[in-house]
Amino acid sequence: MKKAKAVVAVLMASTMMLSMTGCGNSGADSGNAGTAADNAADTSAADNTASADTSAQADGAEASGATASSSDLNIMLETPVESLDPQQATDGTSFEVIADFTDGLMQMDADGQAVEAIAESYDVSEDGLTYTFHIRSDAVWSNGAPVTANDFVFAWQRAVDPAVASEYAYMLSDIGQIKNAAEIIAGEMDKSELGATAVDDSTLQVELNVPVSYFLSLMYFPTFYPVNEEFFNSCADTFATSPDTLLSNGAFIMDSYEPATTTFHLTKNADYYNADSVQLAGLNYQVIQDSQQALMSYQTGALDTTLVNGEQVDQVKDDPEFLTIGAGYLWYVSPNIAAVPELANLNVRMALTTAINREAITNDVLKDGSLPTYTAVPMQFAAGPDGSDYSADQSRYSDVCVYDAAKAAEYWSAGLEELGVSELTVDIVVDADDAPQKVAQVLKEQWETTLPGLTVNLVVEPKKQRVEDMQSGNFQLGLTRWGPDYADPMTYLGMWITDNSNNYGLWSNADYDAIIDECTTGDLCTDAEGRWARLYDAEKIVMDEAVIFPLYTQCNAEMLSSKVTGIEFHPVALNRVYKNAVKTE
Amino acid sequence: MSGKNAAATVNGTVSYTPVDADFKWKNNAKEIGIDENFASQGFWKDVFVRYFKKVSAVIGLALIVVITVFAIIGPQMNEFSYSTQYLDQKNFAPRIAALERFGIFDGSESMKTTTGSMKINYYEEKGLNDLYYWFGSDNFGRDIWTRTWSGARVSLIIAVAAALIDMIIGMSYGLISGYFGGKTDMIMQRILEIANGIPRLVIVTLLLLVLEPGMLTIIFALMLTEWVGMSRIARAEMLKLKEQEFVLASRTLGAGSFFIIFKEVLPNIIGPIITQVMFSIPTAIFTEAFLSFVGLGIPVPQCSLGSLISEGFNSFTTHPYQIIPPIVVMALLMLSFNLVADGLREALDPKFKEM
Amino acid sequence: MGKYTLKRVITALFTLLAILLVLFILMQLMPGSPFNDEKLNADQRAALYTKYGLDQPVTVQFFKYVGNMLRGDLGVSYNISKNTPISQLIKTRLPISISIGGYAVLIGAVLGLLLGLVAALKHNTIWDSLATVISVIGVSVPSYVFALALSYNFGFKLGWFPMLFSPNDIFKSSVLPSISLSMFTMASIARFTRSEMLEVLGSDYMLLAESKGISGFALIFRHALRNALIPIITVLAPLIVDLMTGSLVVEKIFAIPGVGSLLVNAIQSNDYNVVISLSFIYSAMYIIIMLVVDILYGIIDPRIRLAKKGGD
Repeated sequence: MKKAKAVVAVLMASTMMLSMTGCGNSGADSGNAGTAADNAADTSAADNTASADTSAQADGAEASGATASSSDLNIMLETPVESLDPQQATDGTSFEVIADFTDGLMQMDADGQAVEAIAESYDVSEDGLTYTFHIRSDAVWSNGAPVTANDFVFAWQRAVDPAVASEYAYMLSDIGQIKNAAEIIAGEMDKSELGATAVDDSTLQVELNVPVSYFLSLMYFPTFYPVNEEFFNSCADTFATSPDTLLSNGAFIMDSYEPATTTFHLTKNADYYNADSVQLAGLNYQVIQDSQQALMSYQTGALDTTLVNGEQVDQVKDDPEFLTIGAGYLWYVSPNIAAVPELANLNVRMALTTAINREAITNDVLKDGSLPTYTAVPMQFAAGPDGSDYSADQSRYSDVCVYDAAKAAEYWSAGLEELGVSELTVDIVVDADDAPQKVAQVLKEQWETTLPGLTVNLVVEPKKQRVEDMQSGNFQLGLTRWGPDYADPMTYLGMWITDNSNNYGLWSNADYDAIIDECTTGDLCTDAEGRWARLYDAEKIVMDEAVIFPLYTQCNAEMLSSKVTGIEFHPVALNRVYKNAVKTE
Repeated sequence: MSGKNAAATVNGTVSYTPVDADFKWKNNAKEIGIDENFASQGFWKDVFVRYFKKVSAVIGLALIVVITVFAIIGPQMNEFSYSTQYLDQKNFAPRIAALERFGIFDGSESMKTTTGSMKINYYEEKGLNDLYYWFGSDNFGRDIWTRTWSGARVSLIIAVAAALIDMIIGMSYGLISGYFGGKTDMIMQRILEIANGIPRLVIVTLLLLVLEPGMLTIIFALMLTEWVGMSRIARAEMLKLKEQEFVLASRTLGAGSFFIIFKEVLPNIIGPIITQVMFSIPTAIFTEAFLSFVGLGIPVPQCSLGSLISEGFNSFTTHPYQIIPPIVVMALLMLSFNLVADGLREALDPKFKEM
Repeated sequence: MGKYTLKRVITALFTLLAILLVLFILMQLMPGSPFNDEKLNADQRAALYTKYGLDQPVTVQFFKYVGNMLRGDLGVSYNISKNTPISQLIKTRLPISISIGGYAVLIGAVLGLLLGLVAALKHNTIWDSLATVISVIGVSVPSYVFALALSYNFGFKLGWFPMLFSPNDIFKSSVLPSISLSMFTMASIARFTRSEMLEVLGSDYMLLAESKGISGFALIFRHALRNALIPIITVLAPLIVDLMTGSLVVEKIFAIPGVGSLLVNAIQSNDYNVVISLSFIYSAMYIIIMLVVDILYGIIDPRIRLAKKGGD
């Protein structure tokens, strides 16, 4: 009886851990859960080697029998895997699966902090320009070869090789600032001159152009994962397209897979250096694009976790297995400031942003736990020097974007007067997907009701087309999203500098550029607190000028079986990590 | 009448020596049309009488009229518009004043949740006692009654326009190709194969990306892809008929090719053609629905029956009442078009008289 | 007949080549690019274009493609399954689509013919009305609604069949998708059979056959159905191609790794090579089936055979 109670307590604690990384609780018990989660976080901070719930759960599993180690976790995916080649993959699904069977130098812990994985330890030089990683001796590939520094050098050179043309090459150049990366990508230097060298088999040295405060956290991003050169060459062009052409150095091994398939399976890797802590027997992935079929499959027990569509939330919101998980994406409207004279008018932009009722969008339409957002940097992905969330305080710029129909109408009439017109028609481009179309319909309705004389036309396009239109400046308003590449506000704030290709509105502000420059390559690089404060200054300019109209931080509504604990959810890089997950029968 | 005179003249001249002119085609449109003139006396009146004798055909016609009338006036029958959203009034179940007291359409629905089934009545929950959504409201709080009928309007326009254009183009193409045969047929069929060999989705997507999305583009896209079926039917029918005696007779009388195609053969194959038109109406509505499904249909917040079904589909297991009105209207529309087609075909084809 | 067939096969090959060229031109007209992501900058995109040879003129791309295709190389996917040879993608997916589509055609055609025959023979009776109602439901309810309803009742509630496609149990998990796909075919065939049969039954040669004393089974199948078959085959042929090349919606709902959903994904993400290859396979199947139909016409109806001989 006592034991059973302990198990329940552990289960509860771990569920609450999950809700902490999630989007907060929709129910009335959020305060309660918050404190429990804090407690759990404290425990995990005290315990360096394994997260609290895993070690505790291991005891629980022992108590309830050995069944836990013999089961597969059944996971639902919404989209098929695009690529299992770490240097070619670009989407979250592929990243998640690659991370199942590949470890990088670092990995994410339950709180999203970078901790050692393939690297046993690392040294950073005084000036912050040189990182030296020491690779653990017990890390092996599934063909028996040891994981060496050369595997990383080879992989990273692939990433910047113009012949490979990796879409995420900029992670090494613009973001990672690795020496010579930019020149190699541009074709000006040979890839062998990349600032990452193997001193010996177990020592990797990386040189940077400027100090990068978040460099360690990049090491868990799949673009930086190793590839065994010899094995790669033996696969020729078929690398990463079947279990035979995949090599694992991680917790699981792929044993059935075809490109773009709807089902595939991974088994536990017995040779994994940390195999003892892996509880699951394997991972069973199922791609289901129809959300109603997914929920029915979940209800029959064929799935252990599944995404829930907005409409279904009503059906499941009282279920204890229902969760909302932060997905990291900020959805926002970008006005084309440079090309559309009407939108160059600040009053018009202010009217548009203050006329948006963000709560109505998240609570009444999306219903998946997405958080209304009033800052240019979304919540819950970037923790500052003191460990707190960069955008925790949502009221910071509330005077310039919070919903206020009366104020919006005032801005609107002032704007129209300045423009000398009495009515206005604007087009908004949106993706032909379900959620963006829903949001756009609400935006249209809210704008047209609040701002007299405004007509909004929805232009629905496939996503690729929408992105191209926005990048080439061929739009008036655009509903778009941005997911963080690394856990620092700069992944957002870096977008709005003059001439950045994602500064869709072609807005330009010298003061803003100066602040961003100061924080990326200038004096503030090494001064974490000073940099943090300056970033807020930059964000304030973006908000005051209504360069974008932030809408919400995306969350996913999910069902997670109560038998399963220990899945780690992250809004950045790897959305779900299963190596510490436990499933009881 | 002129036929009788001609016959009399021929009979009157017994000792006549033929001259070259007698062996030329007479090429006299009036005389070629002789049998048609004769047959057409009271033909349409006959058709009319035959059509209205058939009960099912009359029911079908009545249904089409009723649905069309509702498509015109339905959206104006209550205070809601098809696009106005009341986000605080989402997913209200159907509620009709007169039927409320009988316990049906009282605005309550039972929802199957993962933790059990429960009965909800949002009208009571939110204290909106004077509010009536006859068909319920959708997940934006829009009135489904209004949307269903404005959707029916859009679908009717799209389907009828596409079917008519499809008939004219496809029929002419198929008849001409089948009649001339040989090289003409070969070339025309290869062009058709190229046009039809490319998956419809590729062409339609491309069109919708290049042109402004909207009703005209959809009609154009449907026309571009749907005419092929009609042309195949027309060609097959032409192949069946063109060797028959009445065609030979007409040709002997000197009728031009186009006269034979459109005046002689066409009336004989009107049955299959009408059946095919009636089939291209649901196909047109379907293709539109499919386009909505892949996100290329009529631009939101406008709606068609197809896009309503697509929308309702997402709530199929949660709020099934949202998909029912558009499906029922669509099914009724199809049924009535079929009944009318049947009636027309039998009325137009005298061969059915004795059956 | 042999000479005619040969001639048709050769023209079919030229038609295919023409289709391929048209596809290439269409891809050029397609707005957008396969490499378009928020995260991609212009230089990197240029590098990708060079890598895949998309920076070359269409004609060069076309001849390169035809050359590679003759060697059995269809190129690689650009983004829906990065760098995977398309032949590999198709090899695993096409058989699944063909088998599910094949079942659907079989179910649809057999049931449709039966339903149509019953309706025509029992013209203007309750059976006729019943057949009409069934076929109207078949054509007016979209296949995805059927699919979900079937899945909900027979998969979720009763548990008779799997709700999702499973490579381990292909036959059982193909049942629900095949049935939901076959509804439209069944309805179309039933409607058409009925109308054609009514026409044939009212014709003079049927009267003659009947007066000669032929009756029952032989009368209906040898004389009536044979004549009604031509237009029915004409309607069925394109349906076969549509079904065998995969249905987007049904594949999406039952999580079937077929070619239908692949094509839609490819179109939406501008994966040119995949669009061209899949469209080309579609075209090839279409043309082959049309060829077969054309030859079948001759076998079923001697009048057409004679006309062709005369025409050529």
